Amino acid sequence: MAEINTGGGGGKHDGGKVRSKKASTRVDMTPMVDLGFLLITFFILATTLSKPSSMTLNVPDKTLKEETEPIKASNVMTVFLGKDNKAYYIFGKAANEDPELKTVGYGYEFRQALQENVKKVGGEKFVVVIKPTKQSTYKNMVDVLDEMAITKLKRYALVDALTADEKKLLKDKAKLDV
Amino acid sequence: MPAVKVKRASSAVDMTAMCDVAFLLLTFFILTAQFRSQDAAAIETPSSISGIKVPDNDIMTIGLGRDGKVYFGIDNAQNRIAMLDNIAAAKGLSFTNNEKKEFSLMSNFGLPINQLKAYLNLPKEQQAKVNQAGIPTDTTGAGPTNELKEWVYNARKANNNLRIALKGDNLAKFPEFKNVLATLQAQNINKFNLITGTEAPPAGWKAD
Repeated sequence: MAEINTGGGGGKHDGGKVRSKKASTRVDMTPMVDLGFLLITFFILATTLSKPSSMTLNVPDKTLKEETEPIKASNVMTVFLGKDNKAYYIFGKAANEDPELKTVGYGYEFRQALQENVKKVGGEKFVVVIKPTKQSTYKNMVDVLDEMAITKLKRYALVDALTADEKKLLKDKAKLDV
Repeated sequence: MPAVKVKRASSAVDMTAMCDVAFLLLTFFILTAQFRSQDAAAIETPSSISGIKVPDNDIMTIGLGRDGKVYFGIDNAQNRIAMLDNIAAAKGLSFTNNEKKEFSLMSNFGLPINQLKAYLNLPKEQQAKVNQAGIPTDTTGAGPTNELKEWVYNARKANNNLRIALKGDNLAKFPEFKNVLATLQAQNINKFNLITGTEAPPAGWKAD
């Protein structure tokens, strides 16, 4: 690399004219291409091209006290979001009637449970009440809302207060600290 | 008869065209992409099948970290200054021009109002090291210690068209989310977006 050419400049023939070497007009572009792609890679990695998506959530107005028709317990599926990514649900009965508490995971399992129960009462009458507990995470709630979008169920409610009966039920059957 | 000479192709490939393409792409990426903004905390959002994109402007983002800390940010630097002016007037504080400028550069933050001034006066490299405490909230959504309500109110005062996006972490607990929800509902905000990642819908699923 760092050599100094001490020999006579380009002189093969002694006594001949000293000619300066002609540099080729072609420039080697390879390093420039390398640099270009390096920068491209950097920009692809450091920027956001894909925007995150969003799901809309509408909650009822708390200031309005609307008269609503009471819904029949036989059409309601109440989903409790428990800890460790587990959901529990009761279907067809209110919490004080000693219902069967079933455990499901999120995703496919949950979807199947929904579809099974929709068949029993029909899509129009079916209501899902989602009750997140203290131990459930934000992800659990989004997952459930997402399942509602997937199964196209329009009638669902997000309720955050548990009744005394429900608390007892979860404590007894699911060993959940509520 | 002289032998037929085979022309030998030069082994050096002309890179000029490739170089052109590389820099064309580079220019494209620089012009179209927006840089990832420096967030107060890393938030990993859950994914959903929703295909609605988050709007570019007029957006207020309420972040919920995995440890339950609440972060707040609005999109436009001018609006941020207007919001800070509003809140300073409401709280009886004053901010210098330098502090306002510093504040307008923050995409989001999670500090109680009384710590904000000290934070803004820190040098840039130290700001990143500060462990932000999160904006105080409460379960009723309208208590005297709830500062999120002030930010939301004053942000909307600065820009009336703001849409609200909630960005929660996978591991954030529901009660923390409920506090944010209560704050919004106390101000009669009943419609908002939940920011999620994108996930493929199950096979055969079609949007209505």
